[in-house]
Amino acid sequence: MITLPKSTTEADVLTHLSADKTALEIKNLNLYYGDKQALFDISMKIPKGKVTAFIGPSGCGKSTLLRCINRMNDLVDICRVDGTIELQGTNIYEKSVDVASLRRRVGMVFQRPNPFPKSIYENVVYGLRLQGIKDRRVLDEAAETSLRSAALWNEVKDRLHDNAFGLSGGQQQRLVIARAVAIGPEVLLLDEPTSALDPISTLTIEELITELKEKFTVVIVTHNMQQAARVSDQTAFMYMGKLIEYTDTNTLFTAPKEKQTEDYITGRYG
Amino acid sequence: MHSDLSNRLRADKKRVIKDKLVKYSITSGGALVLVTLLLIFGYLLYVVLPIFAPVTIEVERQFTQVKQEKILALGLDEQNDISYQINDQGELSFYSLREHDLGELLLSQSILKNHSAFAQSAPSSNSYLFANEQGQVTLFKAEFTTSYPNDKRLITPKISYPLGKSLIELDAQGKAITAISFELSDESGAIAAVTSDNRGFYLLLTATEDMMTEDIVWEQELVELPSLPNNVSQMLLSPDLNNLFVRSQDDLLVYDVSDINNIRIKSALPINALNSHVTTMALLTGASSLMVANENGVISQWFEVLKDNKRTLTFIRDFSAQESVVSLVPEYFRKSFLTTDEQGMLSLFHATGETQLLHEKISENETLSVAFSPRANALLIIDGKQVKLFKLDNEHPEITWSSLWQEVWYEGYPEPKYLWQSTSASDDFEAKMSLVPISFGTIKAAFYAMLFAVPIAISGAIYTAYFMSPSIRSYVKPTVEIMEALPTVILGFLAGLWLAPLIENQLPGIILLLISLPLSILVTAMLWTTLPKKIRESIPEGIHPLILLPVLLLTGYLSMSFSDTLELWLFNGDTRMYLTNELGINFDQRNSLIVGIAMGFAVIPTIYTIAEDAIFSVPRSLTMGSLALGATPWQTLAKVVILTASPGIFSAVMMGTGRAVGETMIVLMATGNTPIMDWNIFEGMRSLSANIAVEMPESEVGSSHYRVLFLAAFVLFIFTFIFNTLAELVRQRLREKYSSL
Repeated sequence: MITLPKSTTEADVLTHLSADKTALEIKNLNLYYGDKQALFDISMKIPKGKVTAFIGPSGCGKSTLLRCINRMNDLVDICRVDGTIELQGTNIYEKSVDVASLRRRVGMVFQRPNPFPKSIYENVVYGLRLQGIKDRRVLDEAAETSLRSAALWNEVKDRLHDNAFGLSGGQQQRLVIARAVAIGPEVLLLDEPTSALDPISTLTIEELITELKEKFTVVIVTHNMQQAARVSDQTAFMYMGKLIEYTDTNTLFTAPKEKQTEDYITGRYG
Repeated sequence: MHSDLSNRLRADKKRVIKDKLVKYSITSGGALVLVTLLLIFGYLLYVVLPIFAPVTIEVERQFTQVKQEKILALGLDEQNDISYQINDQGELSFYSLREHDLGELLLSQSILKNHSAFAQSAPSSNSYLFANEQGQVTLFKAEFTTSYPNDKRLITPKISYPLGKSLIELDAQGKAITAISFELSDESGAIAAVTSDNRGFYLLLTATEDMMTEDIVWEQELVELPSLPNNVSQMLLSPDLNNLFVRSQDDLLVYDVSDINNIRIKSALPINALNSHVTTMALLTGASSLMVANENGVISQWFEVLKDNKRTLTFIRDFSAQESVVSLVPEYFRKSFLTTDEQGMLSLFHATGETQLLHEKISENETLSVAFSPRANALLIIDGKQVKLFKLDNEHPEITWSSLWQEVWYEGYPEPKYLWQSTSASDDFEAKMSLVPISFGTIKAAFYAMLFAVPIAISGAIYTAYFMSPSIRSYVKPTVEIMEALPTVILGFLAGLWLAPLIENQLPGIILLLISLPLSILVTAMLWTTLPKKIRESIPEGIHPLILLPVLLLTGYLSMSFSDTLELWLFNGDTRMYLTNELGINFDQRNSLIVGIAMGFAVIPTIYTIAEDAIFSVPRSLTMGSLALGATPWQTLAKVVILTASPGIFSAVMMGTGRAVGETMIVLMATGNTPIMDWNIFEGMRSLSANIAVEMPESEVGSSHYRVLFLAAFVLFIFTFIFNTLAELVRQRLREKYSSL
């Protein structure tokens, strides 16, 4: 816990975060889908080793912003980005940056579990195999560690070579997290990871997120405010492609500065 | 409230009825498809099965005759109405076999009272010859004339003497003739004989027409046979008057008698089976095969085979009748023959079919005389005083599993071979119906077509589904699908009449094209990446495959225009000659390359469409998941997309194969339809389907040929059945493994 002088607000802490505590810094980011602008001048710092949540009504651009962080938006032909996102001081939109290597450092988990049609084991080591790692020992170890950190090891250790589709939805989602964790990213992006899951699986994933922040910087997009309140350290509220308010979670939910934030968290729209 | 409820119930009933209606109509639709399939299957089998029906004989009519003489020969007319027999007393007698006057003696004549030798020629001629102790012979013929008094068929027997009724003198010294053989046709004939003092004669007869009286006059030329062995047991003259077989116990001398002024011994060889002795021998129909029967029941077949540029009489195969063979009777027109043995057993064989068709006890009596009816649908058997007419059901003796699927040594061929040659202009032609070459042709055509189609179709599908921009895809996919609607007869026509000559003339260019097209694509792609960014960005995203169009056209044009230069430079100006002479590769104008391209073109849309759908329907979440793990698009394609789409891609390939196997018009028109067995890409083939299309219209309904064609259809059916079943099994397994959600 950082002790703060009384005069500075939590928001100020985030703006003045020192470089070594910053995982990601987004500067003046604008994004266009063709002629339509989807993100407007977004600047924020995402602290290392914390859980940052993006909330906001549907279509507010929170997922788009998340996808900017590992350049998944590149896959959309008509998408254009300006501004910078710095990962450890390097702008990821620099020409020299290799997208594949970037994505190795910034892992991502999607809304719906998307295991590959392979065995549980092969799913976990997929990212490692891509990097050309063949040593069985390394792979085995990585598989066990990541499955453990995704809290899945005990459930699947006896059927590692069964098809991943045999797992339940919640297990599949944890498998996908293990898969992302296995390649040792610095940042883990979670795009509404529990939206397709039942409440009990959701709870397991939420507990998992809290554990994950020990090792990774976690950025989570959620439409569920309670979830944001439960798991995140700081929350960004977005509306119509703009970052309205970004501060520590407690503050945002108890004393939002902006009217729009207040309206949203009190359920007036969204 | 109550009526409200019942209203709602009524509405439900309607829905139930609709539900049931739909359920039953769909079920019956599916069932009908199955039933139709079974009906086709059943009909094919119904036509095919008689081929494999066992041979049966049963007594149709019989009578007892008064006299019991030793029978020398017997025969029947074509309708099996009248029988005749020649007995030891030198009499030829005709007996009725008709229902109303069964056993009645119709005509009897004494030909020659005291004879020393008797001979008969090929069974279809009904000609016989007696020789006496004074070195004279008489030749006579049992004939039947058919007339229709009162619109009813009447067959009247007749005895004729083709060389005149008077005796012909063979030996001027008047010695007894001990063995004799003859052949006679309308234009020529010959008699070969041996006298008791071991001198041999060969009399050549040539018919000339007298200009004034229009009578036939037989010119005679008599020569003595050189170096005859002692104890001649049997003589046989081949109907083509080329060979004279002289058997002395177990040894055979073959005389070349084709030139009367130069009669010589061609070969001399022992012909008995191991540890046994020859009992008799006979020529099969067509007179190429000599059948030799032995005391131990072994019957061996011999014919002349070209070996080291020399025709030599060669042992081909043998049959076993178990007991010592007494007589050996060939059929009139087919390669069947029957034997009788000392135990009164009758055996029926087919020479090229290599089978024993029948083995049955007919009599307790060992002196059994047998004759085939001309149409081979009956047997006449004289067993002591009993004359029996047996009905013989032996429609397809030449078709057996072994003749269909194994190598068969046909007469005149140097070795056993798989042959398909169902028809010919010649009369004594034997149909050769091996399904192996045409099945092979089917597989060969499908193989080359798939070799051409699979890489193009699958790569195309991958590119369209995975890389191509949606706007271009929406044009490309329907266009390729329209290709499928192209009538194959047009493809076949183009392939046969335009592509085949083009490839023949521009072969080096075509081969160059196969190499230069993929190369030019790669080179263009590489050059593209080195172009300044400005030029690259000036072309909108997703359009750049279109840049390849001019490149491909130019490469194609250049390759073709270099063809002649290349031909002159590498192949001495004529690729075809070069291939044939220098490399020993035969080149047909309509060959597998043409079929590969044309049929490949026809199956590309099938494979492309299904594979493209499969790849396109790989969930985007999987691709995203892989990319988000730091995979490059190529890694994602190879490790996730293709894997997930593999059941679809596999079934696409199998559907394509099924189509290629069954395809008819292209193969028919673009190959020479030559039933050869060779993987050579520059030679043609004949496929099952094309074979059916070509031959079905000209085959006689119910004939062996007709049934074998149905069998070919059945085999084709089985082929596609196996392909589809295998495909489905593999696809199910793949789907279990790789299905995504």
